[in-house]
Amino acid sequence: MSNQKLQALLESARVIVCVGSGGVGKTTVASALAYQAAKMGRRVLVLTIDPSRRLRSTMGLGERDLAQVQEPNIKGELWASIIDPKKTFDEFVLRAAQHSKGAEKLLQNPLYIQLSTSLSGSQEFTALERLYSAHESQKYDLIVLDTPPTKHAIDFLEAPQKLSALFSDSVAKWFREPEGQSLLVRVMKSGTRQVLKALELLTGSEFMGELSDFFRNIQGWQKKLEARIADVHGLLVSSTTHFVLVSSLDKAKVMEAQYFAREIKKGGYQLSALIINRIQPYWMAESIERSANQQEIKSSLEQRLIDYYSEREKKVLQVESNIPLIVKVPELRENISDMNGVVEMALRLFEKSSEKPELS
Amino acid sequence: MSNARTEEPKKTAKIDLHFVTGKGGVGKSTVAAALALSLAKAGKKCLLVELGNQSFYKDYFELDEVGYFPKSLKPGLDIALWSGPECLKEYARHLLKIESLYKLFFENPVTRSLVNIAPALPELAILGKITSGPPRNVGPAMPYDCLVIDAYATGHFLALLRAPLGMSKAVRFGPMSEQSRSIHEIICSAAQSHYYVVSLPEELPVTEALELSKSLESQVGFRPIQILNHVLEGTTDSDPSQTLQPPSLFNEAMRVQTENVRNSQERLKEYKLICLPFVLENQALSVVESLATEFSTELADV
Repeated sequence: MSNQKLQALLESARVIVCVGSGGVGKTTVASALAYQAAKMGRRVLVLTIDPSRRLRSTMGLGERDLAQVQEPNIKGELWASIIDPKKTFDEFVLRAAQHSKGAEKLLQNPLYIQLSTSLSGSQEFTALERLYSAHESQKYDLIVLDTPPTKHAIDFLEAPQKLSALFSDSVAKWFREPEGQSLLVRVMKSGTRQVLKALELLTGSEFMGELSDFFRNIQGWQKKLEARIADVHGLLVSSTTHFVLVSSLDKAKVMEAQYFAREIKKGGYQLSALIINRIQPYWMAESIERSANQQEIKSSLEQRLIDYYSEREKKVLQVESNIPLIVKVPELRENISDMNGVVEMALRLFEKSSEKPELS
Repeated sequence: MSNARTEEPKKTAKIDLHFVTGKGGVGKSTVAAALALSLAKAGKKCLLVELGNQSFYKDYFELDEVGYFPKSLKPGLDIALWSGPECLKEYARHLLKIESLYKLFFENPVTRSLVNIAPALPELAILGKITSGPPRNVGPAMPYDCLVIDAYATGHFLALLRAPLGMSKAVRFGPMSEQSRSIHEIICSAAQSHYYVVSLPEELPVTEALELSKSLESQVGFRPIQILNHVLEGTTDSDPSQTLQPPSLFNEAMRVQTENVRNSQERLKEYKLICLPFVLENQALSVVESLATEFSTELADV
């Protein structure tokens, strides 16, 4: 009946990746899945990105970036960790370049600084890098990854490929061709030179200087980055890795989930569940019960709200589903952004929620 | 659908830019659409712009397609989706002029991946396109009085706005640097650029809105307008200390909501604040229509 599938997922999965756009409660859901698995006796790590201060402190994290969560119902172990994207990315660069001078210099390059900010996909790469290191350490039975907020869920999976493209040799070698090539090579490269000229016309010679500096400096570690991206990809398409999409109850968002499900399948990943969060306000079940007991609902606003939410739910669930498991979670009574909220979310997910049967 | 590009550009000294941002899930896109519609209804020729590769409004408004070139959504209101690479392409076409060189440039697989990801280029291209109208006048003319941008959420938005200044500091000479400086000037002009931070009447969203607003102010030099979205009717005028009868969960929720609205208004009071109602309607266009009406009355006061 209810929740058995989600429970089974927690028993067998080695990695769960929670994806979804911002503001849907992804961090709480990721933490709740990890907490539930720890309750079942597994050793679990939850990797979160930018958790609220209260969640941070109630998980025992404070200023540390790894802590064991203490909670009486946990039979296994629950570890929580915060990803600091800029720090992890810098560390990866330094490690990959074996702390050479080039790498130190790269960290100062204005283009690298821009690259390591949130817009270029380095955050997504960093999250996956942390996931992979944790997996490699073999300290955990299950790792749950909370992903950075993206406008669209699919952006998360595209980010490492984008980053990888930047470091691919074909791009980089343009900018660091050694002097004194043979005439033949030069002729063959005249197309390339024209392109570079065009780029210089667009951006200016100083920018081109910075760009070639950037590519010269990444020379040492781009092979390692590419290898890492390949390893990470291998882990993501493994049969014990499951994607869980978290969404709000919004038709456009649920349609996006369908799109995501199709895309993710094409990429060889498995989307195992869609969790629709805050499907209705916490008071609604009681109101409906009251009206079923023939107690008149006095406030017309109350009735209008019930109609509004019911209609919305109906409309959203009309969207034909290609996702194996859909779990609906009502809003929590109090909007608690701490460990209590996580425990309450786990209760909703595994004990109180309703589950939509499989659709073909 | 009419093709908006064929219309005559109006002679204006500037195109007003309205950037709508906020934490994910606060209804940013709906608010942006409503603001755009209210401006269109006030007689302005308006373009609603979303950023990225994939359109939210396509499913939201059940449109056939939303792409780089504007399509008509309502009278006086067009809609478009701008991605970094597309903006860069247009800019390159404008600057390189020679079609064969342009083709060589963009049909080369290496350049294609480079423009996709070269640090800061896509961000600059997007802001360059947004600010391409008068007084900068770079690239093809834009026949609009104003642009409403459904911008990125919080941190991403700040990173986007930082790109031109960062680039002009990193690269001090050349076209890229000049462009960056003139873009930065426009996004810091209180006469031309307007910022709206959307939040909900709850503790955390308001906290985030205040943090974002502070950073935004330090980046552009002036304060954004606050928009408190989803304000449930009756919550602004009732007394939160009064217990409603019967003692149901619903009445408890209403009391909490009233308190939340009051606290949020108090915390945001140093800003120009617009409260938008929670519209109990599941049809996207009707929600946007009623919010646009609210905007019209609110903006008339500004």
